[in-house]
Amino acid sequence: MAGFAAVLRKDLRLELRGGESLVALVALSLLILVVMVFALDPAGGVRDAATAAGALWVALILAGVIGSSRVLLAERDNGCIRALIASPLDRGALYWAKLTAAFIFMAIAEAAAIVLMVLFFNLDFDWRLMRMAPVIALGALGFAALATLLAAITGRVRAGDMLLPLLAIPLFVPALIAGVKASGAALAGAPFAAIAQWLKILVAFDVLFVSAGSLLFEYVIGEE
Amino acid sequence: MNKIANLWLGGLTGVLMTAAIYMTFVYVPTEADQGIVQRIFYFHVPCAWVAFGAFGLVAIAGIFYLWLGQPVWDDLGYAAAEIGMVFCTLVLVTGSIWAKPIWSTWWTWDSRLTTTLILWLLYGGYLMLRAMADDTPQVARFAAVIGIVAAADVPVVIVSVRLWRTIHPAVLVTRQGGHGLEDPRMVATLLVALAAFTALFLWLLMLRFATLRMRARLGAIARGLNLAQAAAGDL
Repeated sequence: MAGFAAVLRKDLRLELRGGESLVALVALSLLILVVMVFALDPAGGVRDAATAAGALWVALILAGVIGSSRVLLAERDNGCIRALIASPLDRGALYWAKLTAAFIFMAIAEAAAIVLMVLFFNLDFDWRLMRMAPVIALGALGFAALATLLAAITGRVRAGDMLLPLLAIPLFVPALIAGVKASGAALAGAPFAAIAQWLKILVAFDVLFVSAGSLLFEYVIGEE
Repeated sequence: MNKIANLWLGGLTGVLMTAAIYMTFVYVPTEADQGIVQRIFYFHVPCAWVAFGAFGLVAIAGIFYLWLGQPVWDDLGYAAAEIGMVFCTLVLVTGSIWAKPIWSTWWTWDSRLTTTLILWLLYGGYLMLRAMADDTPQVARFAAVIGIVAAADVPVVIVSVRLWRTIHPAVLVTRQGGHGLEDPRMVATLLVALAAFTALFLWLLMLRFATLRMRARLGAIARGLNLAQAAAGDL
């Protein structure tokens, strides 16, 4: 637990003291939403809630692919990863720390993206967003869990940057389907019961990938 | 590789496949509603069966590789993934050929089609990793992890895709399998085709596995030679 807190604190401090990941992540989310507005040309209003939710999830995936791998790849510079592996730190704790850092960065970027989505798609700031928040949080957690495990792999393969989305996006499909549906319904003002079944899928996905990551991380990190 | 096993499995595949082709094109009656194109069903379903089985084998081999660390499990997983990919492609292609006259579209986002496509993409990623990376124990571990994670993802994919399509009005959801096979000759043809494709899969798997084992041995010999040469150069 102490190791987990130490690594997480280090990552957050690094970001606060002039790390660019978060700024880049928010800027990327902004750009993707702008692209989606040009691509889809929404008329605005609640009628376009599903479109807005779709655009938000595209932003989440693309920002996630680029952002969540940064947290782990930053350790490559100066061979920090070797020091981490050589330390008595438990590999599972390392995974949890990296996952938590990636999740925090993604969650901040998503919060910014939600605000931008409301502005760009002419929606309202109201209780509907609160209902959508847990959906986005679960999606970001699932993606962070998945991408942290995969980034440990693709970070050590030639052209791994290209490989990460090829592996991560198909694996993320169930959470994407559930997330888009639940966000769209929440934005359109559907009752909680209507999104409950999608939330169940998201929770199942998160549980699956967080446990798979904790169990399998030690096999992908470590000996060269 | 065991020559006798190769001969037996190859012969068995040949006999069963000939029987399956004869039964599909001559023996089995033409389906009343769909006509001649329904016969592709006897190839389509066995391909799906082989593809799913092969991908299951990838995950099992991955678990054993991580557990025991023996390279044979890695080679088995690699061979199964390659062959599974071929049959998964065949499932999508034969399905499209059938769907065009029956559903009058090549593709529809029906739950089973979508699931198969996702599966195809998942194992495409797995094979991309293997193609782009070198043949090291580290990459073997990576591949094993991805094989396991992909298989674990499949049930969630199936559930979510099914919900996605039942909530949404789908234009075409009825499938051939839904009707049931009324004629016992249809059942017999399907069973023979399943046996034929299973034998074909096992034969291909054995050949590919043996090739990969041989390549590993060749690599070991080459490394040994290099070492010997370097040692000789030092003298």
